[in-house]
Amino acid sequence: MFQTLIKHPLSRTLFVFSMICSVLILFAILLAPLLIPIIISFALYALLEPISEIFERHGLSRNASSLSVLLILVAVGAVCVSLLLPHLSAQLSTLQAQLPVVWQSITTMGNDFSRHITTSLSLDMQSSGITQHFFNQVDSWGKAALIEGSNMLISLSVLLVLVPIFTFFLVRDFRTFRNNLLDKLPNSSFEMGWLIYYRVAHQLQEYIRGIMIQSAIMCVITTIGFYILGFESPFLLGLVAGVLNLIPYVGPLLAMVLPMLLALGHTPVEFWMVGAAVSVILVAQLIDNVIVIPAVIANAVNLHPLVVIVGIIVFGNLFGFIGMVVAIPVISTMNIIYYGLYQGIKTRYNLNQKNHNS
Amino acid sequence: MSSQHPLWQNLFKHKEDRTSQVTEMWMDTPLFDKITRRECRDLVKTMHPRHYKKGELVFNSGDIGASIVLIRSGGIEIKAADKLLAELVAGDFFGEVALIIDEPRTADAIACEDSELIFFLRSDLKEWIKRSPKSGAQFMLNIATVLAARLRHTNILLSMQNS
Repeated sequence: MFQTLIKHPLSRTLFVFSMICSVLILFAILLAPLLIPIIISFALYALLEPISEIFERHGLSRNASSLSVLLILVAVGAVCVSLLLPHLSAQLSTLQAQLPVVWQSITTMGNDFSRHITTSLSLDMQSSGITQHFFNQVDSWGKAALIEGSNMLISLSVLLVLVPIFTFFLVRDFRTFRNNLLDKLPNSSFEMGWLIYYRVAHQLQEYIRGIMIQSAIMCVITTIGFYILGFESPFLLGLVAGVLNLIPYVGPLLAMVLPMLLALGHTPVEFWMVGAAVSVILVAQLIDNVIVIPAVIANAVNLHPLVVIVGIIVFGNLFGFIGMVVAIPVISTMNIIYYGLYQGIKTRYNLNQKNHNS
Repeated sequence: MSSQHPLWQNLFKHKEDRTSQVTEMWMDTPLFDKITRRECRDLVKTMHPRHYKKGELVFNSGDIGASIVLIRSGGIEIKAADKLLAELVAGDFFGEVALIIDEPRTADAIACEDSELIFFLRSDLKEWIKRSPKSGAQFMLNIATVLAARLRHTNILLSMQNS
């Protein structure tokens, strides 16, 4: 009974899968300080590898094509920073100046609302206590966000140095490294290993390219929308919407928060503005779902929506914003590895059983 | 200085010899018809050499297949339902169907002596097609010709058996 259980393809798959997961988790713990630059570099590798292939097709060596890709990356980065940074910092200053007014306006609205409820329903809600608790909570979140933001600025300078270096070496050497690693597999699982790797790599590349294009399109659409509505920081709001779009399902909801708060901050409050701010995100989502997703991201990951939502919440709880962004590619990768292993192990098991019976 | 050092020279020579030899072997097959030697050589550098002991299984019928295999040295027996279908020697290739479709293998391949096999993976073929679409298309045409010839041969055998 115990022997049968050990030899069963499901238990064998679970054992091998757990070993792979353990090794990956161990690497993630060891490389924890470098995990973010490594993830960004892999995302850039997925984007830049086709460009490097084009250069190679035109006769450039691997070294020369990798160097050209690095130069393009640095040049595009420098142009983006020099063009966008002044606008972004100006809009950030505007937003910073707006926030106390918005805060004051929302506080007044909240107090008016609780007074209205108390008088109309003749209830003693101890509204001041509730409001105080709410504001204290929001205040602590705000402070935490500010500290995280300043930490991110420090990390940003490290990222600017590390990411181009990592990306260059990935473009130049990843194929050799991958070949050496996969050639270490035993003869019996050599082809299966390559097949699983290829499926994972193909799906991840499709997903990363798709989600980046999708986020850029979302950023453009929402920026235009907020500009037409007369928001004072349209580009910043568009950028936030684009970045938050990296998180499926939950991201668009989070993207609505900032423009809604800004719309509420207008004195006197114009509710049509709140509705219009939400509409911009909804219209962008509609365009995204009808045009962008079928064209660039369809079938990139084949996961049930419930798995996606639960995964985002769990990963977000464990690893914060980065966890929410990487949740889908990680779950999708694990899914392919598990089913690839199961398929291979089950085939071998069935053949052994057949040989044993005959 | 380093390139003249005997140790380095021998190391490179060994690798070069193997690449050249495998390139020539592939060029002798119909798969690389009308494809330049240089392109074939670049492709050979991405292929995967593996060593098998006598009696070791290369693949089973029903296994997931992902590559075509060239015999560099040694010999391979192809069997289906314990019936010997073919005995292949150095320079022969097998498993070409797996290069085209993602389906299980249809026969067993067993090393009948210590062998060195060169695996050309479907994923490497796809990368090559992206890099060199013209040569990739020619390769696909060649493989289609090989498969069509084998189908025709099987049809003739079947009709002879029936008559």
